[in-house]
Amino acid sequence: MSHLTPLRVFVSQAQWQQAAEMLQRLDPSAAAEAFSSLPFEDQQSLFRKLPVEVAASLAGDLPYYQTYVLLHSRPIPDVIAIVDKMNPDDRVQFFDQLPQETWQRLMDELAEKPEAAPAEAEAEGAIIPPASVEPPLHEEPIIEARHIEKSFEREGSGPIQVIAPTDLSVEPGVILALLGASGSGKSTLLRILAGLTPPSGGEVLWHGRPIAENRPNAAIVFQSFALFPWLTVLENVEAPLQAQAMKSRERHRRALHALASVGLKGFESAYPKELSGGMKQRVGFARALAVEPEVLFMDEPFSALDVLTAESLRGELLELWLGKKIPTRSIFMVTHNIEEAVMLADRIIVLDRNPARIRADFRIPLSHPREHGSAEFLLYVDYIYKLMTQPDRQPGLPSLAAGARTPHPALPHIHLGSTAGLLELLNDRGGKEDLYHIADELQMGVDNLLPIVESATLLSFARVDRGDLELTPGGKAFAEADIETRKRLFREAVLANVPLLRQIHGILAGKSDHTMPIEFFRDLLQEHFSDAEAQQQIETAVSWGRYADLFAYDSESDRLSLRPVTDAAEENESVTQA
Amino acid sequence: MEQPFRSRLFSLVPLPASRAGAASLLRDLPIIVAGLAVFYSLVALTRYWNGPVNTQPEIHLNPSALPGYALHSVERITVAYLLSLAVTLVYAYVAAHNTRAERFMIPLLDTLQSIPVLSFLPSVMFAMVALFPGRQLGVELGSILLIFTGQVWNMAFSVYSSMKGVPVDLMEASRSYGFSWWQKLVQLELPYAAIGLVWNSMMSVAGGWFFLMACEMFVLGNHDLRLPGLGSYLQTAANAGDTGAILWGVTAMVAVIVLMDQLIWRPAIAWSQKFKFEQVEATEIPRSPILDLLRRSRIIGRAERALAMPAREGLMLHFAAAREHSPESAASGGVLKWVGRAVAGVALAGIGYAIWRMALALATLSRSDLLTIVQGAGATFLRVESSLLLAALWTIPVGVLIGTRPRLAAIAQPVAQVTASIPATALFPIVLLLLIRVGGGLGVGSIVLLLLGTQWYLLFNVIAGASALPTDLREVCDVFGLSKPERWRKFILPGIFPYLITGFITASGGAWNASIVAEYFHFRGQTFSTTGLGAVISRATDAGNVSTLLGATAVMAAMVVTLNRLVWRRLYFLASTRFRLEA
Repeated sequence: MSHLTPLRVFVSQAQWQQAAEMLQRLDPSAAAEAFSSLPFEDQQSLFRKLPVEVAASLAGDLPYYQTYVLLHSRPIPDVIAIVDKMNPDDRVQFFDQLPQETWQRLMDELAEKPEAAPAEAEAEGAIIPPASVEPPLHEEPIIEARHIEKSFEREGSGPIQVIAPTDLSVEPGVILALLGASGSGKSTLLRILAGLTPPSGGEVLWHGRPIAENRPNAAIVFQSFALFPWLTVLENVEAPLQAQAMKSRERHRRALHALASVGLKGFESAYPKELSGGMKQRVGFARALAVEPEVLFMDEPFSALDVLTAESLRGELLELWLGKKIPTRSIFMVTHNIEEAVMLADRIIVLDRNPARIRADFRIPLSHPREHGSAEFLLYVDYIYKLMTQPDRQPGLPSLAAGARTPHPALPHIHLGSTAGLLELLNDRGGKEDLYHIADELQMGVDNLLPIVESATLLSFARVDRGDLELTPGGKAFAEADIETRKRLFREAVLANVPLLRQIHGILAGKSDHTMPIEFFRDLLQEHFSDAEAQQQIETAVSWGRYADLFAYDSESDRLSLRPVTDAAEENESVTQA
Repeated sequence: MEQPFRSRLFSLVPLPASRAGAASLLRDLPIIVAGLAVFYSLVALTRYWNGPVNTQPEIHLNPSALPGYALHSVERITVAYLLSLAVTLVYAYVAAHNTRAERFMIPLLDTLQSIPVLSFLPSVMFAMVALFPGRQLGVELGSILLIFTGQVWNMAFSVYSSMKGVPVDLMEASRSYGFSWWQKLVQLELPYAAIGLVWNSMMSVAGGWFFLMACEMFVLGNHDLRLPGLGSYLQTAANAGDTGAILWGVTAMVAVIVLMDQLIWRPAIAWSQKFKFEQVEATEIPRSPILDLLRRSRIIGRAERALAMPAREGLMLHFAAAREHSPESAASGGVLKWVGRAVAGVALAGIGYAIWRMALALATLSRSDLLTIVQGAGATFLRVESSLLLAALWTIPVGVLIGTRPRLAAIAQPVAQVTASIPATALFPIVLLLLIRVGGGLGVGSIVLLLLGTQWYLLFNVIAGASALPTDLREVCDVFGLSKPERWRKFILPGIFPYLITGFITASGGAWNASIVAEYFHFRGQTFSTTGLGAVISRATDAGNVSTLLGATAVMAAMVVTLNRLVWRRLYFLASTRFRLEA
């Protein structure tokens, strides 16, 4: 469509005025369509800068959850003004669709006295200054990352980017959650902000000064606890204080206090191996809190724990934080668990991967304590699901392609048995199901489910539409076929849709002896991926190729060899008979 | 203020009640006596070290002289071990932390490890005697350094690889919490390296006993040097053909080794369990009554609180404060960098000069010398491999038998451990006596001697592998009624493969090293020898023939390193990938 591209160009060049004018010119549904085609974070930045009328017209034509979240990227007075200017029919429909609690909440917000802000804003002109994500003026951000990026140098083929240039700030008083699929570089981002890993480009400022100049007052809680097994609980907590050259009496006092605050009084002389996982992570928290960090970093702190333990630990952390029992001014958490993020965070950043970049950055205005099953809670969870399953943004636009080469499409690292299982489940549900419901039913985190979904869509067996997963005719045929037919369908789907496997197959078919050392393909992939990722890619490719009976892999000689399609079936039979 | 003196002395700890005091005194008695004994022997040794040089003391074969000799040998091995420990820590730390140094330090370690002890003898001796002319200390230090060269390499290697393998998350934790290099070392790197270090220390000291005879009594050119000790006692007894004295010597040595095992290594192993890197507690923990005694002792506890703890605290805070004040200071970093460069430059120049001199020395080798070396290399190669084969032939069935039957293992394991702790060199004279009586020459006999030294590595590894064979797989074999040969081929052999390879690697290295004492032997006043690289090296040492010694040593080092790279390392990789039994 002709108006889609210009809008993108405007947005990518930050020409908000032109973009706003363009949306105004278009008829409302076309404007909504154009707007929705933008990557989410661009939607947000644009929405924040739109004049109230344009925003109101858009708000009427977008799905209710999108409208709700977008609205909250602007300050309350703006929200009131926008809702006010919405077309009455649209407004009624929007309120109708909202879950009860959310509606109540919005009503409360709208009832607040509009302070002088909207008038001022409107007086300033059409473009309202961005409001939501940037902190209020009197609160200086603690950490400011400017254009940080991370790439790995490799010989011959130029650097591989894992984190695209990113701006990010951490302001005081919030819990910030960084969400992303596994391998999206979120842990690396945390380490850059905490000063553990230097970025390859850009700079990280703590209180306006480069991180190298002043050691940041930060502490990290690790997924694996990272306790020293040969030190007692007390010695573990004291170790960081020793590093600060603190005298033993004061050190003791602080450590005991920290241990008491996480409920570990009486465990001082135990060794970590005598403790359960939950207790170990409590020690991890005590160790971090003992240094009284300004920012507390947490790298998937609950994901090594069982569900109940994680739940109670989250609750206790929140209690410490909300009760202001710890001097920490900000918490930065990395997680792949959407519900955990919505449960804890005041602000959520969703990362794209390959390379990592910010896809969305929004606030969760729910008050604590939050309830798991509440409609409002689910609204956010559902919304983030939809966001994360949205196809990756298309490359090729000027602002996006800056310097980075188009990555070789990556294979999700999953076994195809799970893909088949998902397709069967979907077929049983009539071919279409909400992703969040699937995840809920399977008790799977987004980290585990998304790669399976990705494999299904990659093979064109299913497609994702606004958070729903839908079976394609090919997928339906696959789900209903017997084992032999499945192999054939799978082989066809792979050759049609997966460039890497098509390439391997083509090369093998082209050679006279139909074999090739696997090293060759690994080298090819290393031009696009880091060493470890290339290795994983090749392993996944071998696993898929074997599943599809495309080629065989001999671990002794480390070679791939083509399997003649006709023989394969017979051999399969003979194997079954044996 | 009634007892000002007392209160000043013991103000750090609460005074014990008098009855508890008596009980604890009784408990501490062994420790006090042991302390006094150590002190007395130090005084005696100092007197001896400062005495005038006496290169040919008469070695008395009277058993009553044995305790004194034992003391001398223990002293040498202890000092050599402490020296090894110090060098290990510095070498491993630098290699693990400086990438540029690492690049040549590790291959160097690999090479040095493959050079047999005797090859170091002439240079070490001459240097030490020149340093302390006319003092017993010179010869003594030479002997100690010789023992040191046999002990240090595997310890350094173990600590280096532990330091490189510190888990990433612990490393990140220590960095994010701003540990000083000292704190990182004592709270993370050393604890992580502790268990490997203790085991390798045991192996190293056992190696020290193995080569003790060669290190205490040797011919150097026209000097016939000997030092009072168990090794020279055994050697003298062998020369005299005095079977009774040999047996006395072996008994004394075994007694000392068992005693050291109980008093030092068992406690050390039990103590090091604290550093096991595990998240759950193990069910079976090695224990040691001696360690319990030490732990319960009041004297030691008091000394720790009064001396060790303040020192530890002081060091920790000192380095932490130093780090706080200058986080990676550029100036001192620059100076350090220049110092490092200067040291590296001097070392490189030294090595270059040494290579040049070595080339000159090697150039003097005649054609026939070269032929002897090559022939010797071939013969020793065959001998080493056949001794490995023979060892495998008996240790695999026996080891599997023991390993798969826990009750048998409970009896057999301690017996095997004591037997293995007897240094094979001490048994050589007895074996030689038998061989001569049977009529076999040293050519075949040395295979038996090699076997004596190396079979234990294999046996213990096979036992460990067999006891780790998973029960479910054994049950599968029962269910499918696998025949005996099939069971061995499909289950047992692949199952113990990784352990077998580990055993073979250690045994192969040990066998090459042992060839220098197995192929050339002074016995009953004459010299027994056979064709072999070890014999070439020993003979060259005796004759002070530096160029042949160099050439033969270079060939041996080259062969060991090549074999390691081409055969063992590949097999090890295979073992750790395909044949690994995942838990």
